[in-house]
Amino acid sequence: MSLKLDPTTSIHRRLLILLLPPLALLMVAGGFADYRASMVFMRTAYDQSLADAALAQAALLKVVDGKIHAQLPPQPQPHGNRAEKFYYSIWGPDNLLITGNPQLAAATAGEGNPIYADAWLGSHKIRVVTYRVATAAGVATVNVAETTSRREAARHFILTSTWLMDFILVDSTLLLVWIGVRYGLKPLLAVRGQIESRSPRELRPIETAEVPAEVRPLVDALNGLFEVLREAAHAQRQFVADAAHQLRTPIAGLVGHLELLTQDPAAAALESRLAVLRDGMRRVAHSANQLLALARAEPSANLADHFQNTDLVPLVERVIERNVDRSVKAGLDLGADLAAASVAGSAWLIEDLLGNLVDNALNYTPAGGHVTVRCGGSQSEPYLEVEDDGPGIPEAERSRVRQRFYRLPGSQGHGCGLGLAIVEEIARLHRAAVTIDAGSGGLGTRIRVQFSPLEAALQGKTANAVTP
Amino acid sequence: MRILVVEDNDLVADAIARGLGIAGFAVDRAPSAEVAATALAAEHFDLAVVDIGLPGEDGLTFVRRLRSQGATLPVLILTARETVAMRVEALDLGADDFLMKPFEQSELAARCRALIRRANLNTNGQLNFGRLRIDVAGRQLRIDDKLVELTGREWLVLECLAFSAGRVVSKERLQQTIARWDQAMTPNAVEVYVSRVRAKLADAALIRTVRGLGYRLDEPEA
Repeated sequence: MSLKLDPTTSIHRRLLILLLPPLALLMVAGGFADYRASMVFMRTAYDQSLADAALAQAALLKVVDGKIHAQLPPQPQPHGNRAEKFYYSIWGPDNLLITGNPQLAAATAGEGNPIYADAWLGSHKIRVVTYRVATAAGVATVNVAETTSRREAARHFILTSTWLMDFILVDSTLLLVWIGVRYGLKPLLAVRGQIESRSPRELRPIETAEVPAEVRPLVDALNGLFEVLREAAHAQRQFVADAAHQLRTPIAGLVGHLELLTQDPAAAALESRLAVLRDGMRRVAHSANQLLALARAEPSANLADHFQNTDLVPLVERVIERNVDRSVKAGLDLGADLAAASVAGSAWLIEDLLGNLVDNALNYTPAGGHVTVRCGGSQSEPYLEVEDDGPGIPEAERSRVRQRFYRLPGSQGHGCGLGLAIVEEIARLHRAAVTIDAGSGGLGTRIRVQFSPLEAALQGKTANAVTP
Repeated sequence: MRILVVEDNDLVADAIARGLGIAGFAVDRAPSAEVAATALAAEHFDLAVVDIGLPGEDGLTFVRRLRSQGATLPVLILTARETVAMRVEALDLGADDFLMKPFEQSELAARCRALIRRANLNTNGQLNFGRLRIDVAGRQLRIDDKLVELTGREWLVLECLAFSAGRVVSKERLQQTIARWDQAMTPNAVEVYVSRVRAKLADAALIRTVRGLGYRLDEPEA
């Protein structure tokens, strides 16, 4: 049998495939050999007693006047209780029947003395032994036969007991192999479980305390890779943060001067061009801030450990307060609808998240519109929600707007396309789900951030800390 | 009102100085903590705007030194690098407010005005807001030097809003403030008192309603 195993086949399967069929075959072959051996022993024993009868018969032959005489043999006692039929025939040298059953012919096949053969006598299956004995009057042939019912019974017994034993042995062996493979692979499955339960962006090292020796190098290599990735991610974050920080001071100067210039009566003639410049400058400033926020939100190795019970109500109040002036300038009604809500998280990051949602809503809602921030769900299903009655996001675009630097075709305002990407990033860190829908009455946009229950999230954090 | 701007970056310092100048403040500039210390020792300032990333002694160390020397003038910290820890540290050290770069000139001017207003309230019990002159101790409100009569409850509303001028005061807080004076106070009653105060202030100041949150006392829109 040629086995071609795909290298991707699971080890569990592989071990079972490689072990079970050969083992089963081996056990069946073993059973067959046992059976054969038992049969040979049994036949030899029965044949021997048949031969003894023939020899005894031969010993009773007498030569009187050059003729062979046979004494009528005593009917041999059968072994056991089963009535077995015996037959005799003794033939003289010229193939004349001396005594016995004339239908019982000599066994012809085989060599040696005595020889044995299976034959039929009428409708009876018999075993014949033929013994040739030399007498003064020539060679006499003594045939003794018995019916085979005893042999059949014995053969039947051997067959059933051998197969029964064999069956039990095969089954229990297969069961033991299966259990052994299963338990043997348990530590491997534990490692798999550990890896599977990680979030895909997590770079924490895998715990190696209970990793079997064979897999240890693999896990060590993975951990080494995680380490390199962590450092790279950290370096990248640091770089983005540094770059953004470095940009901020000159941007602050430029923004300030441009703002002053636009207010300067001497520059009134250039007003429209200054407005373009100022808008561009704002966009640069906004992008620098957003890049920084994004760098902050990148999952750092131990961020989840800093998560705390965070009350969303004051957080929403702060974000709204920061944006009141802007909403007034834009002619928008910015309001809140607040109920108790607490989440496990970083207040700092959630403020960034909400800030971006409100920022988007204020950017894309035309004057006269409404923007409403909601929170609620207390501790069991806390959520944040920002709804506007602006132009809305077409259903087909809703997944694309979550990508970095993607902006709705033809969209106004000074966004840089990072806002929702930051929202996504922060939500992911908090294991929160972001859904984008139309607002009430099918108007505008409603973005909801559904957090996991506070209790579970805080417990998850502790569980993480104990068995990472 | 005189402000000392401690900022080493010329571009930023110049913009701040001009901007605050236009907003009606007298502004002096110091490129380092050392120069600033000399200026503060020599003359009176109502407010210092201090950048954290100064050459030599940094902004936070400078503020700590000022406070340890007993200086009470309000300090507004500017920074390009924000972290929660830094914000907390700055406020713990005695900074009064915190502004991230880049910022809008109008935002900076508004924060400066609020800080100086608070400092005045602390020193002489006077709260000036645009055309409003509020004598907290004497419980008197003047608009353009004209005395305006307020009932007790109206006064509490105005005081509460004026103490946090430019910031949103929640409806609950107003309700609690007035409830001390009058036990049976409903949210609707708060609205009634606010609208009465609003009427008495007329065009001298604006009580803006922030839907779902509360009210904010603003200077009237130009």
